[in-house]
Amino acid sequence: MNNKIISGITHQTGEIMDKLKVASYLIFIISIAGIVYALLFNPPNWVVYAISIIFIPAGILSFGLIVMARGPKDDEEDKTREPFIGY
Amino acid sequence: MIILNLMANILLNVLVAFLVGSVLFGLQRKIMARIQMRPGPPIIQHLLHTLKFFIKESSFPQTAAMPFYIAITAMLCVIWVSAVIVGPVTEGSLLLIFAIYALHKIVEHNAGSSSGSPYGKLSCVRAVFSAAAEVPLFAVLIIIYFKTGTMNIGQIVSLQAVSGPLIYSIPLAAAMFFVLILSKAPYSPFAITKGKDIISGYETEHFGLLRGYLMISESIAWYMLLWVFLTVFIGGLSPLWYLVGMVVMSAIVALINATTPILNPNHSIMMQVSFAIIGIVGSFVLLLY
Repeated sequence: MNNKIISGITHQTGEIMDKLKVASYLIFIISIAGIVYALLFNPPNWVVYAISIIFIPAGILSFGLIVMARGPKDDEEDKTREPFIGY
Repeated sequence: MIILNLMANILLNVLVAFLVGSVLFGLQRKIMARIQMRPGPPIIQHLLHTLKFFIKESSFPQTAAMPFYIAITAMLCVIWVSAVIVGPVTEGSLLLIFAIYALHKIVEHNAGSSSGSPYGKLSCVRAVFSAAAEVPLFAVLIIIYFKTGTMNIGQIVSLQAVSGPLIYSIPLAAAMFFVLILSKAPYSPFAITKGKDIISGYETEHFGLLRGYLMISESIAWYMLLWVFLTVFIGGLSPLWYLVGMVVMSAIVALINATTPILNPNHSIMMQVSFAIIGIVGSFVLLLY
């Protein structure tokens, strides 16, 4: 019973991580595209400010989420399992 | 002379702010170590740590309030990138710098509360507590307005080119701003939100890339605080003199940090409020006479 619950949690965590990775790639590509657009096409100043304020931080964060190291699959079980074993 | 377009100018300034801020933090640790008779880490250690955290294994605590826990780190970066735009890029309004600083306090508060860690939560409470003392110190900008009649950084620089640096005419305001800068330095006597008694304060539960991300923003924040001080109280300087000024200020901060203990929250607040009262009253007296 316990094993089933644990494997369920692990599976769910894996799915969340995959979604995070896809979202990160998407945000990273949009951020870089926005910055390159502002570099090449000289849009109005307020557009450049908006692009800088939103896409520079978003680009750095999404890059970090893409390159960050993840623990081995086997360790995920230990991380998600409750230390409390019941009475 | 190379003329950059606005986006390239912003990117360059953000990169310079990050690199210089990181190296200044490293220099500060080195000077502190030498004063305390330790060899200390290399000067580029803070920069290396920042980059290293990006490739370290990252995990998110189960107690964290998602997605707020991640979003708040982006918020810190957003506000300090905005500060670079308002400061070195456009030489805009000091009021915006004041607003950005107030938001920085909110980020400290929310980063601590979103992590679910008791250390973070204690730091969150202290962030509110310390705002009571640091925001009045930042009110030094009002004294600058009374002296110069403007809040625009570009106009303040032009005025100083004619009538001399403001540090001579409103020295107490400069001293107040310096105390504010000191309160944001690591290991400072006023650094109660990240005091070692609460591990790393609001950053305790931000691991891996999120810690690296926070460190990038903090390096930019340190550069910007020094930039605002030098620009507003000394005037427009060449890049080399900005660098010299920042190194000297970081060295003074390191000397103070190395020789003083971290005060407890009550003493820290009382001391900063005392500085603020003396500074504000004294500056108005100086302005009247």
